[in-house]
Amino acid sequence: MAMQSFRQRLQTKQGIGIVIALLSGGVLVYLFLTPWALRKLSDGFYLGFFNMLSIGLLLLMGLGLAADKHRKEVPEELKTLTLRGFLGVLGLAAGCLLYFEVMRRIGFLVITPIFLFIAFFALKLGHWWRCVVLAVVVTVIVYLLFSVVGLELPHGFLSVELPI
Amino acid sequence: MFDPAALAAALDLFLHWQTFLWLIIGVFVGTGVGAIPGLTASTGIAVMLPVAFFLPVAPALGLIIGVYKGAIYGGSISAVSFGVPGTPGAAATVYDGYKLTQKGQGRKGLEMALYASITGDTLSDIFTIFVAPMVAVVALAFGPTEKVWLLMLGMVLIGALTGKHLLLGLMSAIIGVFLASIGRDPMAGVTRMTFGQWWLMDGIHLIPLVIGIFAMPVILLEAAKLLGERRAAGTGEQEKRKSVWKTGPGLSFQEFWRTRKELGIGTVIGSFIGMLPGLGSTPAAFLSYALAKHLSPYKKIGTGVLEGVAAPESGNNATCGPTLIPLLAFGIPGSPAAALIGGALMLHGATPGPRMFVYYPDVIYALFMILLVANIVNLGIGRIFARVYATLAQFPKPVLIPLILMLAIIGAYAARANPYDIVIMLFLGILGFGMIVVDMPTAPLVIAFILTPMVEENLRRALIMNPGNPGKALFGSPLAIGLILAMVVLVFFTVQFLKKVEE
Repeated sequence: MAMQSFRQRLQTKQGIGIVIALLSGGVLVYLFLTPWALRKLSDGFYLGFFNMLSIGLLLLMGLGLAADKHRKEVPEELKTLTLRGFLGVLGLAAGCLLYFEVMRRIGFLVITPIFLFIAFFALKLGHWWRCVVLAVVVTVIVYLLFSVVGLELPHGFLSVELPI
Repeated sequence: MFDPAALAAALDLFLHWQTFLWLIIGVFVGTGVGAIPGLTASTGIAVMLPVAFFLPVAPALGLIIGVYKGAIYGGSISAVSFGVPGTPGAAATVYDGYKLTQKGQGRKGLEMALYASITGDTLSDIFTIFVAPMVAVVALAFGPTEKVWLLMLGMVLIGALTGKHLLLGLMSAIIGVFLASIGRDPMAGVTRMTFGQWWLMDGIHLIPLVIGIFAMPVILLEAAKLLGERRAAGTGEQEKRKSVWKTGPGLSFQEFWRTRKELGIGTVIGSFIGMLPGLGSTPAAFLSYALAKHLSPYKKIGTGVLEGVAAPESGNNATCGPTLIPLLAFGIPGSPAAALIGGALMLHGATPGPRMFVYYPDVIYALFMILLVANIVNLGIGRIFARVYATLAQFPKPVLIPLILMLAIIGAYAARANPYDIVIMLFLGILGFGMIVVDMPTAPLVIAFILTPMVEENLRRALIMNPGNPGKALFGSPLAIGLILAMVVLVFFTVQFLKKVEE
């Protein structure tokens, strides 16, 4: 009950403002501890001026949001965002990074159909065979389009090239 | 100011098969992006920006401007066909456009949207061609002090007027300032805020930032919705909708001519609002609709009439050209699309601003030509492929999401072949996702990111010119004081005005 109430309060603009203020405060402390932020350059300007100014303003605005007249409102998208959805997004981002790393090593034409198949399947496109066919077709179309434009895609160690 | 030699050079740039090819591709892609609900013009431009990077300047401008104009028009296709705006700027078109479809006059509605878009766009482009050089002449007189405050005016206006909440918009701009200050200091070249990472020494590149902030969050949000659902998404539960193009007769010239008052209202409002940084096509469309309804109550706008489509569609498309006025005259992008067009120019070595009229007049003239010809291409493609685009609006999200993710990854990598750009793009994508979820607009971040190095350069130049006297450096000219006052007054009155329009 207390946990749910805490989560509900965190979802309000007040909660968001407090989180932003705390994060900004942390970065500001980090900046003050660095040797370069207060270093004076030859023209008299401080190297970390814009960094500190922006983080300082963000801190103040975070506190302002927490005290604002709209502080009790909960943003629409945040109301409907589920934990499952949020974890799915993080998983998707991690999957994209993995896809890229593997693509550099084994090539676009090999890994992309696999990536697309997994993505289509995870996003519930439909039957597995539909996902396979679409993954292959989309890969070939994108490869041909980028070849026409002149953008070279990673070939990896397989060096598979279509004659364009 | 008019330079015949530059015009000849511009014709040389413009009259090239590549320019026309990429303009046509841009409009084609842009209209499709606009027709799909959930995707915006910024998303389309962000995904195509890496391609523009590899093209010569005129084809690159053709591609980006084609995507922009196509997307602004394309939003009306699903607005009229299904009652769902393809882009935020088409939301006002739904009121009458979808009612026309329900009355069996969908084809008329689609054609009205097309012709209204082209009319508003063309007239406002002509306005831009005359006004931008005149404003640039004034801007050339600005020194570093005036430029600092002018750029600050642009950033504050965009932060304050974009989105529903003043503080959130300003916070977005400040995050952009912070991100821009990562890397090398623009004057001394000393690195800062790199967290000890060597790959941040050159700062954040524009392309992964733009893709991460404009393309990724929209797609991640759609993915979050799909992944959060337990049922299957692509198993045909979307009802097959009859092609709107087959419903009823087409638009006659008399019917089009009857809406000339509403077209005029949309064009004037769209041109004016397009010039102001931070507002964009959505308020232009709603304001045009509201004013047309108010001025012609006997036409019963809101009950499914052509005038109710003419006003918002001419209004939203009339912002396309004038949004480039602050960019070309002052170097201040007035909208996300203008920021991306400015980015495309910067990637080709032409920094937008008044000096562009002096050093790159051929590029300016070529840009003007592209603006005008893009409308003709938009008309042709819209007329021929409208029924295809209406079908595209039902494109399954489970296919769209991975496709755009893949294009985003390739695009971000292609710019510099730097694998860390993917890390940056994904990080910014999650940041942008977080921003959208908490109702923080993302456009001010990108615009502030582009403007911050210019602010810093001019500020430090002003300080060097007035050693030991920061007061004089910042407030030493009447124009600078005027710009500061203008900033305060404009923000205050525009916020009040927008509140009234919302009510």
